[in-house]
Amino acid sequence: MRTILPLPAREPKAGRPEVADVWRRRIGGALTQLAIWVPLAIAAGHVVVFTVWTTWVSFTASTLMPDYSWVGLRNYWAVTRTANFQIAYVNLLIFGLGFVLLTMALGLLLAILLDQRVRGENVLRTIFLYPLAVSFVVTGTVWSWLLNPGLGIQKLVNDLGWTDFRFDWLVQSDKAIYTLILAGVWQGAGFAMALFLAGLRSVDGELIKAAQIDGAGPWRTYHRVLLPTIWPIFVTVFVILLQSAIKAFDLVRALTGGGPGISTMLPTLVVYDFMFQRSELGRGSAAAVLMLLSLVVVLLPYGLYVRWQRQRQARA
Amino acid sequence: MKWSRLIIHAALIALALLFLVPLGVVVVNSLRSSQEIAATSMIGWPGHLTFANYGQAWNHFCMAEHCWGIEPYMLNSFTLAVPATILSTLLGALAGYSIALWRFRGDQMIFALVTLGIFLPEQMKLIPWVVVLRDLSLMNTIAGLVLIHTVQGMSFTTLFCRNYYVGIPQDLMKAARIDGAGFFRIFWRIVLPLSPPILIVTVIFQFTGIWNEFLFGVTFTSGGQQPVTAALIALSAAITSEPMYGEQSAAVLIAALPTLLVYLFGGRYFLSGLTAGAVK
Amino acid sequence: MPITRRRLLAGSAAGLAFPALARAESADKPRLTAISQWSAGSDGAAISALGKLFEEHGGIWQHNPVPGFTTEMMNKLRAQIIAGDPPAVSQLKGPEIAAWSKIAPTVDISTLVKAAGYADKAPAELAKSCQPAGHWIALPLQVYRINTLFMSTKGMQRAGVTRAPKSWAEFNDTAEKMKAAGMIPVANGGIRWDDGMKFEIALAGINPDIYRRAIMQLDIDALKGKEVLAAFEQLRKLANWMNPNIAAQGWAVNLPAFVKGDMGMVLMGGWAQGNLMRAGATPADFSSGPAPQESGPPCFDLNADCFIFWKPKGADLEAGQKLFAELVMQPATQEMYSKITGSIPARTDVNLQVDGFTDGQRDSAKNLREAIAGDRVLLSLGHNMAQPNGMTAAMIDVLTDYVHNSAIPAAEGQKRLVEAVASAQ
Repeated sequence: MRTILPLPAREPKAGRPEVADVWRRRIGGALTQLAIWVPLAIAAGHVVVFTVWTTWVSFTASTLMPDYSWVGLRNYWAVTRTANFQIAYVNLLIFGLGFVLLTMALGLLLAILLDQRVRGENVLRTIFLYPLAVSFVVTGTVWSWLLNPGLGIQKLVNDLGWTDFRFDWLVQSDKAIYTLILAGVWQGAGFAMALFLAGLRSVDGELIKAAQIDGAGPWRTYHRVLLPTIWPIFVTVFVILLQSAIKAFDLVRALTGGGPGISTMLPTLVVYDFMFQRSELGRGSAAAVLMLLSLVVVLLPYGLYVRWQRQRQARA
Repeated sequence: MKWSRLIIHAALIALALLFLVPLGVVVVNSLRSSQEIAATSMIGWPGHLTFANYGQAWNHFCMAEHCWGIEPYMLNSFTLAVPATILSTLLGALAGYSIALWRFRGDQMIFALVTLGIFLPEQMKLIPWVVVLRDLSLMNTIAGLVLIHTVQGMSFTTLFCRNYYVGIPQDLMKAARIDGAGFFRIFWRIVLPLSPPILIVTVIFQFTGIWNEFLFGVTFTSGGQQPVTAALIALSAAITSEPMYGEQSAAVLIAALPTLLVYLFGGRYFLSGLTAGAVK
Repeated sequence: MPITRRRLLAGSAAGLAFPALARAESADKPRLTAISQWSAGSDGAAISALGKLFEEHGGIWQHNPVPGFTTEMMNKLRAQIIAGDPPAVSQLKGPEIAAWSKIAPTVDISTLVKAAGYADKAPAELAKSCQPAGHWIALPLQVYRINTLFMSTKGMQRAGVTRAPKSWAEFNDTAEKMKAAGMIPVANGGIRWDDGMKFEIALAGINPDIYRRAIMQLDIDALKGKEVLAAFEQLRKLANWMNPNIAAQGWAVNLPAFVKGDMGMVLMGGWAQGNLMRAGATPADFSSGPAPQESGPPCFDLNADCFIFWKPKGADLEAGQKLFAELVMQPATQEMYSKITGSIPARTDVNLQVDGFTDGQRDSAKNLREAIAGDRVLLSLGHNMAQPNGMTAAMIDVLTDYVHNSAIPAAEGQKRLVEAVASAQ
């Protein structure tokens, strides 16, 4: 690997031997290579090595410890047949889509509202941002109290007089997944808001003025001008929220424990369950690899899109 | 026009109150005694206020044979989070600069690989890290955890910094090169001074993530060196055998205080950092 | 003062003796590194007391409790083993002792066991689990009875029930009366092992022999049989009587309501007595006894905690293990431990008539002795005694799903259990 541009030759200072300059340049070059490559190699390396190792283990008979005897696709077959895993995958779709889309929607709404130069913007912004500071375990625990029909919101509304009010998703096998979405949106909306607001604020003032001169009202200004301009931000927010959804673990454990029964299992929990609770490393690794594969399905289009965009720009 | 302003303000205030409810519940619970919470309900107004939970949580709560409270674990978390945040941020800035501005062959590929790291779930990285720490003789040390969080943190920090640095015009780079500046000088003199917005965003993000992390913190440390997340988990495990909800709420608040303060004071910079083009 | 030759001699003799003394001290001083999940509560208090006892006998106690539950503890143990640094002893139980003993070397303590005359004092099933390869590598610490029924005194009064039910038919009757009185008949938790435990109590109460064949030996015919179906039907009844709002909370949050009489019965292991006391109950607030048993004397569904001995590096750790093993096997230590946690000693010859034990513990211990004599000791499914963790988890998946999803009929639940057992093997 060479750097693109070698440094231009310097005029040797009067009385200074050239040799020293050459050595300085060589050492500088070597240090540069180190500074570029050592951190990147470690970071990229750990991604590659850990993924390869996990894939390798998924094809072995590992149980309590890594064992290196090949068993082919047996682990994959065993894992995909468990109800645990099947439920987890469906849940990932529901939770992933629901969490990402709703968080983006709420974040966008908050950003647009805050963009209106309201009073107390600093305070409001802090209030919407603070959930990010809280760990998922705490979020899950507190929401488990709030969403519990006997303790939280349902009880409050019932006590206030509306005795028929029901908000017991948490204890219903088919609705509990939505409680996860709720808690997740609460935690993540502030982040989406911050990015959208930053984007909205950095739009060129000229564009807005031009739209207003054309007679566009606030709705049209947003719809036709601002939102399209901050399209790249949508993509960034999407990617970061997506990885948050895929890695959701503490939130689920604290809020529903995977329950009621096994109805809110998610892939990370399945991986943890197989790898550590059941001491079946091979099967857990297979579940992890399947999880990563499903990620590729989402990321590949994004990667291709970025490539296509760059090629378009290069052509323009 | 006035109507719409009213609606906007009302909507914001309503949403803000909704957002504050969970925090409010925890604060109220930390002021109720555990017996009262157990006897009545997890959510409710305090029969009588008590601040004893804070004292209990801070330095009386017993975990294992030590009744230190969570104070020493808070210190451990600082010892872990501060170096790991600083290192991962600096290395991320360096890496982002290498990829976005200095450029080299294969830079996009490396960037993609590093960034893919943000998708890897922690659970699958546990055992590989055990092997790595064993070979480096860093098991059961805070240094080992700092290493883990730095390497993993680079995935995020490189992403953020690189996306920010692509906004720096290449002309600046070219001019500097012509002047004879090398890799380090450009980084030090040109890139870093332009970086505070993104560095603040990165620091806030990393500090929060590392402070709140639990799985590695518990597995790679022992006893008195554990971070505060471990102490919180010990508390929730203890709750299964006797009601300690008040102490748990107080402990949770104390443990969340550093990150809450970071967002309180850094929130403004968080936003301006993003505005300055961190997001592309 | 002039330095006389005598003083010099004395001084140098002392100086020479010091390092020798110090070296002798540290070489002899037994040291023990231990990993467990018992960081707080009564378990934490008990293990700390054991540690103090160890130190009183001249040892250095280095216990590292892992925050969380069993999985976190096993994680830490696994990490230490991979790192080549296992603790001298660690908490482990049931079939996991056999499984883990295959991945790292253990210590044969059979000579110590024989010297203490301990081998026939512990229940046979338990002793077997500590000797996977025929020699002792682990020692039990305490025993709990799983199939225990706690009745709320106020609850019984409210429902007009005069005594604890002895069979499932009586239990169902009692539950109906409690339901009619506006109470929640069964106070339960929303945690997986709790659901699994309810099933095993039902099956053990219906027919202990079938339990042994189906759950402990995984005999497919027994699993497909009518007793297991009956257990599923009973489990559905139990599920309908449980607290609908428990969600994912532990069972102990119900205790204040239980004491007040708003909930009537708790089916839980013997440790529940400790929970009750810590929740503010007095012995007058509840009564305990064996869970319903259809025919014959009550069986004993056993749960036990053990410590496994890993091969140590260093003479001080070896000495520590020897000291620890001797201490754990002594009746006095077992008595102290069980008094703190509310369990019963693993040694069946400990006298529980002394102060510090409750009637519930005494009754449990008597039950154990009788069950050993009548060959009615079973190993718990929900607490990872009957099967290795992988099989247990697969079975409990089915059971917990069944409990929380009332749309699953009993026959379907049985079918899924059979499938789960087949695919987890």
